[in-house]
Amino acid sequence: MSFKNILENWSAFRKDAEAGGHHKYDHRWGMAINLDVCTGCNACSTACYAENNLAVVGKDRFEKGQAMHWMRIERYWDDADRQFPERGASFLPMMCQQCGAATCEPVCPVAATYHTPDGLNAQVYNRCIGSRYCSNNCPFRVRYFNFYSYYETWAEPLNQQLNPDISVRDKGVMEKCTFCVQRIRASNDKAKMENRAIADGEVQTACAQACPTGAIVFGDTMDPNSAVNKLWAKHEVKRGDYLSKKPKVNAEKRGYRIFEELNVDPSVMYLERVREEI
Amino acid sequence: MSGFKVNRRDFLRVLGWGGASTALVGCDMPTTVTLEEGKEDVVAYFMPEEYVIPGVGVWYASTCTQCAAGCGIHGRVREGRALKLEGNPESVINRGKTCMMGQAGVQAHYNPDRLTQPLMREGGALKPASWEVALKKIAEKTASANGDRVAWLSGAVSGHQAVLINDVLNTFGSKQHFVHETIHASVWQAVARDMLGDAQPVLRMDKAKSILSFGADFLGTWQSPVHFATQYAKFRSGKRGVLIQVEPKMSLTGGSADAWVAVRPGTEGILALGIAQNLVKRGWAKGEVPAKLKEVLAKYELGMVANATGVAGDRIQRITAALKDHAPSLVLAGAPVEGGENGYDAVSAVMLLNILLGNIGQTIEPAAQFAEARMQARSGGTRGALEFSKLAAAKKLDVAFISHANPVYHAPGFMKMKDAMANVGFKVVMTQFPDETAMQADVVLPLYSAIEDWGTHVAAYNGGVATLSFQQPLMEPLYKDTRGFGDVALSLLKQRKPKEYAAFNDYYAYLKASVSNMPAAVAKGDKNKDAAWNALLQKGVLETKATVGKFKVNTATVAAVADVSADVQFPYRLLPSARLGLWDGRHANSPWLQESPDQISKVVWGSWVEMHPVTAAKLGVKSGDYVRVTSAQGSLEAQAYVFNGIHPEAIAVPLGQGHQEYGRYAKGLGVNPYAILNPVIEKKTGEVAAYATRVSVTKLDKSARLVHMGSSDTQMGRKLVSTIPATVYRRTEGEA
Amino acid sequence: MFYKHVCKLVLPPVLMFVSLLLISGAPARAELAVPPGVTPPVGTHAGEDVPQPIEFPHDIHVNINKINCMYCHTYARRSKVAGIPPTSKCMGCHKMIATDKPRIQKLTEYFTKKESPKWKKVHDVPDFVHFSHERHIKKFVFDADLPVENVEQVCGLCHGEIKAMTVAKKNKPLTMGFCRRCHEANGGPGDCWKCHK
Repeated sequence: MSFKNILENWSAFRKDAEAGGHHKYDHRWGMAINLDVCTGCNACSTACYAENNLAVVGKDRFEKGQAMHWMRIERYWDDADRQFPERGASFLPMMCQQCGAATCEPVCPVAATYHTPDGLNAQVYNRCIGSRYCSNNCPFRVRYFNFYSYYETWAEPLNQQLNPDISVRDKGVMEKCTFCVQRIRASNDKAKMENRAIADGEVQTACAQACPTGAIVFGDTMDPNSAVNKLWAKHEVKRGDYLSKKPKVNAEKRGYRIFEELNVDPSVMYLERVREEI
Repeated sequence: MSGFKVNRRDFLRVLGWGGASTALVGCDMPTTVTLEEGKEDVVAYFMPEEYVIPGVGVWYASTCTQCAAGCGIHGRVREGRALKLEGNPESVINRGKTCMMGQAGVQAHYNPDRLTQPLMREGGALKPASWEVALKKIAEKTASANGDRVAWLSGAVSGHQAVLINDVLNTFGSKQHFVHETIHASVWQAVARDMLGDAQPVLRMDKAKSILSFGADFLGTWQSPVHFATQYAKFRSGKRGVLIQVEPKMSLTGGSADAWVAVRPGTEGILALGIAQNLVKRGWAKGEVPAKLKEVLAKYELGMVANATGVAGDRIQRITAALKDHAPSLVLAGAPVEGGENGYDAVSAVMLLNILLGNIGQTIEPAAQFAEARMQARSGGTRGALEFSKLAAAKKLDVAFISHANPVYHAPGFMKMKDAMANVGFKVVMTQFPDETAMQADVVLPLYSAIEDWGTHVAAYNGGVATLSFQQPLMEPLYKDTRGFGDVALSLLKQRKPKEYAAFNDYYAYLKASVSNMPAAVAKGDKNKDAAWNALLQKGVLETKATVGKFKVNTATVAAVADVSADVQFPYRLLPSARLGLWDGRHANSPWLQESPDQISKVVWGSWVEMHPVTAAKLGVKSGDYVRVTSAQGSLEAQAYVFNGIHPEAIAVPLGQGHQEYGRYAKGLGVNPYAILNPVIEKKTGEVAAYATRVSVTKLDKSARLVHMGSSDTQMGRKLVSTIPATVYRRTEGEA
Repeated sequence: MFYKHVCKLVLPPVLMFVSLLLISGAPARAELAVPPGVTPPVGTHAGEDVPQPIEFPHDIHVNINKINCMYCHTYARRSKVAGIPPTSKCMGCHKMIATDKPRIQKLTEYFTKKESPKWKKVHDVPDFVHFSHERHIKKFVFDADLPVENVEQVCGLCHGEIKAMTVAKKNKPLTMGFCRRCHEANGGPGDCWKCHK
């Protein structure tokens, strides 16, 4: 897209964006995470390590902030100034939000990260040159860079556990949560082989499948009958209208997206934590 | 992602790579763009089963053995390798879900530090030996042993493994099977037995509208965490239940509490009696309150209780009211209460609340016990190791078999397990790893991983449905010189009773014969035993006949709870807190679990000392400073983690680290708080009072960044985790 | 060099010349037919000779015995990988057929040892490329109603005229440009993450 093209067709691009981006989506994968039942147990995070060939970096590199946890549970103390945290801890499962208007995408100099027609924020490893612009531009801090050739650290026979459906990333490559794209593609292929549409619940991310309390619901937000879409609708969180001036959140509903004010149109909706006054 | 599940014994003859473009991703040359021709090998199957398709995963049902909860799992196998574990939806324990430890089951299997051949002690050192030689040695050394001079120490076992252990001991005429588990609920079970007439009552969190938990970390480490987490999800949905967690240090469950109440460590029982008194006083107690009980409760007035526990009187009243308002309720007691020197009395006080609140029969139901007694779960606490160490130290043991346990690491330091074991004539250790106990053995027999072995499991806590859960190999053994536990136990039996066990070539044959004779296994008029067996393995679980008991409620055992004494020399109480992940230390050799942050402190790869900011200020300590924690038994050093989720009189050091052996990922990392426990025994149950040790803390002249996840402890005003009051929730969706 | 070897074993000298024409395809011979309605991917590659543990003659199996590709590479329509036939499958025929030939005797040796030959991979794509055989077979054979006996035309799009070879040789480039041109011409997906992940 040339600069001249941008200037000449700006209003058209803008309208496109308001209508949901330049894509004709065939699916839009999304999540709903109920923070009221998330217990912060780390099952999702470990399941992600097991599914996605995540590197274990060790203590020293962890200290430098080089951990590769695509799915991490943030823990915040909201009562840090009080004598005791009387409302417990605030746990936040944080992974790539697969933004509809992702800030990582336009800064990639080689288009290694881009938006797929099924609403995913793709990272193409063989295209990535490791400029790390995307990670610097991500407000959620969910992009992880391979500073080392971690594949060398899988001691035999630990490497036999590696999932052959997804690449093992090499040094110099950015990586992040993919919504378990290998599972989506496998289910998609299976559905196509059987000449049918992909059913709701047929594809689950590793984190959603493991989650002991079912706090994570994954599915196609374009499918009106999907569990995730029903949740989005129930909690009145809408995608795509991120350029409008309308209030983004209905205060009476629990649904919200993190950093809504940045207009990045995340594909992950969180449901507020509830606390009883005792 | 379903794939299809088929189960057969000998499913892969050749561990092959299926043979095409993607099979070797990541394993051989992940960095090299291999466009050359003829550089990579492709090995076809020799004779594949019909259902094995290269490039397509096959799912097998099995049972997780990462802890004793007995969750059902499905394992994904591709090209002969087990790749991923998921929950088995058929299992009533976990309903298709898993915890982080279950997810890491594959790492216990592929761990690079596994034992690959038997070891025998020769001239003081352990040297490799063949199975024939090792088994011959065992036969020689045990030939003349008999009676109670033979003992077996194991972790929690059940199913046919428990039967075999029992049978081996029977051949010696010994009844000494000791069960040792560091993380246990033995005191809770003892109290439930005495007050309800049922040691393992079913807890219906899904029915409860409020849960008052005295330190029971049911989402993390208490009894059956995944099961309780699935129940908790129901508890929190619809007409949302209220969780009140009372404990001296925030557990994972405490993190999810509506109200987290810090209590002076060791006084939880007093608080429970205070709430009981409040219930009775306000006329909210259900049923007749015996006069003797009223007498016991009389002195637990609000003022006295508030004074002893550090929980304000009005708070106690509010908690009492919440339990009444959100009925039915459920009251639980976990490790910090059970582990006190007054543990039995304190848990009794907690159980009394369930009786006074009318929860018995409502949210607490009688257990449905697995009908075959020999296969029931042998669970236990620390008493098993205590008794074993005493016998060993007194030179009363000629032969000791140790399996499913690592007592030299796990037993508290005061038991001097290593020295005690030196006094045992002959020690056979069956294990998968070069752990601390294996290093003390005379013969070490290397076992299959859970992913390579056969077994059956009966959960100690079964959620009200008695099931037998099957464990079957997901893949061929990685090491040809390892063997299954059942096979080893059968070898021991064959040495002693060759005729009786001649019919069983291996544990598989034994299991199949035994299960096929169980009435439940061939029910529904199924004549074809092979088909029934295959169907069982495919499903993974077998629901069986259960013996459902009846409650006999008894409050006569409720007594006054002794207050904890102060100590000037050792002003703090040590909390050896357990964490989901490393568990009692058995998972310290999993890189994933080491790198997975502690849920509360977010610290990775090491140990830390938790203290309240008030305590830290007194000591001049900030997070990251090294401190020395000293008890009468010894001391340990680690970095401080200062946060306000702990009572100022408590010091918490998590379990799980401090291994001296156990492979590259565990060895030499962090400290083990059990090393400095005082020898305090809870008198009525004989369990080690693990939370009754008093310590002092001194600051050391050393500081470093505490390696942990996340850079900000607060949300800094951003809307990251948003919280709304329950009143709003009730208005918008609470009745849905 | 290879044909010499074959001929010495199998054919009298006169037939040797004829068979060379037949099997290897003389210059005048037409290219493998393209399935109707398909724009074939463009590009050729001069593949190296890849020595295999057994010099498997594709030509005899396909050209003379008319065995369908998917008879041996049976997983192609059911999995992302086409699969190398299991040793037991080879022996299904070769317990009876051509048991006097040295290559078959070598195969029998493997079989009695319950082993599989270590074949060398000829058609390889980088590890970050995920190619699915079943999807291509579905599109070009089953969805296109192509008679299954003509499946070699579809396989040939990427593998070339295997029936003219003994052991397989790579004669298509299998580069991303090669894949992309075909995807564009025949309506395959253009999304990077369909093949890279």
